[in-house]
Amino acid sequence: MRTILAIARKDLSIHFTTPLAWVVFTGMSFLSAIFFLGSLQQFKQVQDMARALTWGRLGEGAAMFKNLTDGVAVPTFQTLLIITLFAVPFLSMGLFAQEKRQKTLELLLTLPVTPWQLVLGKYLAAVGIVGSALGLTIIYPVILAIFGSSESGAALEWSTVGLAYGGLLLFAVSCMSVGMFISSLTDSQILAAILTFAVLMGWLALALFSQFTEVQALKDFTHYASFTTQLENLMKGVLDPKAIVFFLSIIGLNLLFTQRAVEAQRWT
Amino acid sequence: MAMIEVSNLTKRYRDRVAIDQLNFTVEAGEILGFLGPNGAGKSTTMKILTGFLPPSEGRAKVAGFDVFEQPIEAKKRIGYLPETPPLYPEMTVKGYLQFVGRLKDIPNKQLDTEVERVAAATGVTPELGRLIQALSKGYRQRVGIAQAMLGSPALMILDEPTEGLDPRQRNEILTMIKGLAGKQTIVLSTHILSEVKAIAQKVLVIHRGKIAAHDSIEKLTAGGSLEETFIRLTSA
Repeated sequence: MRTILAIARKDLSIHFTTPLAWVVFTGMSFLSAIFFLGSLQQFKQVQDMARALTWGRLGEGAAMFKNLTDGVAVPTFQTLLIITLFAVPFLSMGLFAQEKRQKTLELLLTLPVTPWQLVLGKYLAAVGIVGSALGLTIIYPVILAIFGSSESGAALEWSTVGLAYGGLLLFAVSCMSVGMFISSLTDSQILAAILTFAVLMGWLALALFSQFTEVQALKDFTHYASFTTQLENLMKGVLDPKAIVFFLSIIGLNLLFTQRAVEAQRWT
Repeated sequence: MAMIEVSNLTKRYRDRVAIDQLNFTVEAGEILGFLGPNGAGKSTTMKILTGFLPPSEGRAKVAGFDVFEQPIEAKKRIGYLPETPPLYPEMTVKGYLQFVGRLKDIPNKQLDTEVERVAAATGVTPELGRLIQALSKGYRQRVGIAQAMLGSPALMILDEPTEGLDPRQRNEILTMIKGLAGKQTIVLSTHILSEVKAIAQKVLVIHRGKIAAHDSIEKLTAGGSLEETFIRLTSA
């Protein structure tokens, strides 16, 4: 465990010395703040309209704006899913590619460290990197809880917020596992970022594909494999063990593939 | 006791044979000069001994542990400086040495003392707080040697350890390596034959993947200088 922690600590300390990390953090914070403010603005407009016209006349689509949880917090997290898709390639690209490029993988593989320790240490760092990037966004529900109010008393339904936020984190760490695996296949960080972006975009496109394909088996599969399907319940605040198992399986598979890729490194 | 036992070691890259049926042993406490022209197979042999590359055939043992069947036990006994010092430019020298020390499983209580010891031995103590990217080539090389020394491994494999050092630094490092004779086994790969002559007890010459000579300095230089012997052995 000490070895895994030492590798994670090293990667985290190096990551936070690079300008790219801060650029990505700033970009994520800036974009999420814009979308949060946009959601708040929309929420206020609908509330004002409801006061003038009553909820009944606004239609079913406006129902989500009856409370801050469904009207602001969850939509902000859903937007963060997309922002995460764009940020992950930059956050994960250096995990192994950088080690290969600067020849430090040779050091790590000639020290008494197993490939699994190396992969787990790297992944722990990856979780820390994306966790800290998303951790900044917890401020939005906190702001809502402090300054917001509702007719029922509490401004937010914390169980819904917690599950939606958990779903977002689970998705982000799954994306990082994909990025780490791709990073282990090349010594070019740019190539790793491009390939990770392509794979994650493909994952995003599955939901669209499932709507347009007419082959039922393909439709079912793409619908199931789409992360939007898997996150549907969690984003509504419903605990969904199947979704958790789905994302954990993706992480497990990518860790296994990465371990194999590190092993294979020696055979090239 | 043999620190390194190599038997029938072969490495092929597709149709190219990098090393071919190597057989040799290195006794504990010995300093071995590992010589050969560029592309002779020295780096491949060292990469196999350190567990970085698997052989195509044959076996390699370090301190009695098979490098590929008991890799962790073998690696615990090896300090390795590759041709390019494996450094993280964004880390401080101290942070880097502590990191390598943790991976070598040096207990936390001893870590700082051990880092200070190897820093003093390689002359990087004044640089401990500096970022590696701010160091000169010579100091980077010293940091690379320092990480190999951490934990006083029974076997140190050094691939061109004096590369990039000025004559005074070279002399310091060679004196330090010579001082380890008897305590640690050293495999020293270099193109500078005078360095080998100054500190090694035995020389292994490899040419086109095969052993051209493996003997003591005295016997190899009986018929002429080490340079002449080296040229004769590797000109075929």
